[in-house]
Amino acid sequence: MSDVAGPLLEARHVTVRFGGLIAVDDISASFGAGELVGIIGPNGAGKTTFFNALSGVMVPTAGRLLARGRDLTGARPHRYARHGIARTFQTPRVFAEMTLAENVRFGLRFAGRRRRAETWGPAWLAAWIDRVGAPWPWRRRPGVSWLLRNELSILNVIGLAHLADMPAAAVTPSQQRLLEIGMALATRPRILLLDEVAAGLTESELQDMAQLIRRVRDELDITVVWIEHAVTTLLRHVERVLVLHQGRMIADGTPAEVVRNAEVIEAYLGDEMVEEGVA
Amino acid sequence: MPERKVLWRDLLVLAALTGWALALPHYASEFVASLALTCFMYIALASSWALFCGLSRYLSLATSAFFGIGAYTSALALEHMPWLHAVALGALLAAAVALLMGAAVLHLRGTYFAVLTFGMTELIRHALSYFEKQVSGTVGRVLTIVPERNTVYLTVLALAVLALATSIAVRRSRFGLALAGIGSDEQRAQTLGVGTRSVKTAGFALTAAFAGAVGAAMAVRWTYIDPPTVFNPFIGFQTVLIALIGGATTLWGPLIAAIVFSLLAETLRLQLPQLYMMALGVLLILCVLHLPGGVASLRWSTFAAWWRDTRQWWRERREEDTEQERKARRQRDRETRNV
Repeated sequence: MSDVAGPLLEARHVTVRFGGLIAVDDISASFGAGELVGIIGPNGAGKTTFFNALSGVMVPTAGRLLARGRDLTGARPHRYARHGIARTFQTPRVFAEMTLAENVRFGLRFAGRRRRAETWGPAWLAAWIDRVGAPWPWRRRPGVSWLLRNELSILNVIGLAHLADMPAAAVTPSQQRLLEIGMALATRPRILLLDEVAAGLTESELQDMAQLIRRVRDELDITVVWIEHAVTTLLRHVERVLVLHQGRMIADGTPAEVVRNAEVIEAYLGDEMVEEGVA
Repeated sequence: MPERKVLWRDLLVLAALTGWALALPHYASEFVASLALTCFMYIALASSWALFCGLSRYLSLATSAFFGIGAYTSALALEHMPWLHAVALGALLAAAVALLMGAAVLHLRGTYFAVLTFGMTELIRHALSYFEKQVSGTVGRVLTIVPERNTVYLTVLALAVLALATSIAVRRSRFGLALAGIGSDEQRAQTLGVGTRSVKTAGFALTAAFAGAVGAAMAVRWTYIDPPTVFNPFIGFQTVLIALIGGATTLWGPLIAAIVFSLLAETLRLQLPQLYMMALGVLLILCVLHLPGGVASLRWSTFAAWWRDTRQWWRERREEDTEQERKARRQRDRETRNV
């Protein structure tokens, strides 16, 4: 859990302009510890641009970004990563020539090395320590789950440990999406920004992905912010939803509140979808 | 092969090559020693170039600028300080210029970066030419204090060995991993915590330091230097060609290609200079088309694949010919029947 009270990440009146086009228009949102938040909206609503601003990939034209109270506006992406903000990209961006293990090790050796895992040693020892409790030096340190202690344990979390020595270019696109999540987890983040990780997945893969995302939040104590077009699945798993439309945030609430919001129904969900029972 | 075994293999090969190179002047002719010196120069230049540019995929054409800076430093400093200090100063000044140049151009990628580094090299060359003519009142510099030939040989050999050893170390370090990440996907590397600007600048300065040191050591070989000689863009181009043909992402590729190029240069350049340039061009084209990983990526399986492809191509061609012959025969038969 967070060792600082207040939001892990906060956007205050963030605006991103591309010339005359306002991609993100005065959005304020905060993400606290242990949250699983979804972001939905039609194509071109500014979801990914908002993510780019939240992760430092894009400097907002106006507004401020604070990570645990520290102003990171204008900082480079590696500083965001070092402050525990990790992200994935819409199209998987893995290091194609490296193996899966090397891809994951990358994050561990850079942003991830700043935060040590709770305990060390084999999984059975960590599980036993969890059960019986242990004195220093094996006691749990607050912060990073022991499931993120090395590349193999992270590959286990995402279910790709059996492919550890395969080059990333040789695995399927859906496995590359999982690997991207693994790479982001390797930075031992406090908050994970997932950009359409379920795009192009089959129904069963989609369910597995949703389970993995829940597990990341529940077992690894990582706040998750998840952009997705598969609204039905997303609304079933998240506890809070932000809805963007034409760069503005038109709703922020629980899935049940959002699906009843007239503006959201008109702009994005439509009557049919609500009748089918998205939530 | 496990990583530790690869490290031992690399270190043993490096030690064996160094031992052979140390013994060379004692039994070989002066011509061979001179050829080896050129070879060491290109090994140091290409290996250090590949160290940064091969891993990060930033195509720098500024090698001749750093080489020239080193050469001029040595020409000016040798009167005031010992040999090794002059070489070190050449490296230091080249690295300092690389830091400044890097701050200006390392935010660019691809052709923009390549063109700008080349432009800056030309700028430095012309600025120095102007300074020499207008302020110093001279065209070039005569090096009056020249160390012994053996000293130069050992220094350049040490630089080549150091470049390879640095390459081995960097490829196994966090710094090397960061460079490889930058080469693969710079923005992704940033989002995983790599401060890409500092890593790129440090890599660029490291490459420049080697080029500067080699320039400082090799300047005495000419005894007279002027900007067109030591800032010759061909030094930079040839370094890039050697690294690319050898395999810029590999450790031994630049070394293999440097040996081949030095032999080609010595045998062809004097007698058939055009043929030498053509050979370089043909080698580059062949490598880009058929061996993008460079000569060092050659394996038995590569030859087997080439052989398989050639046989397949030949079989298809023969089948096509047979098919055409069959059609022609049928046509002839039809015509005969009609008649």
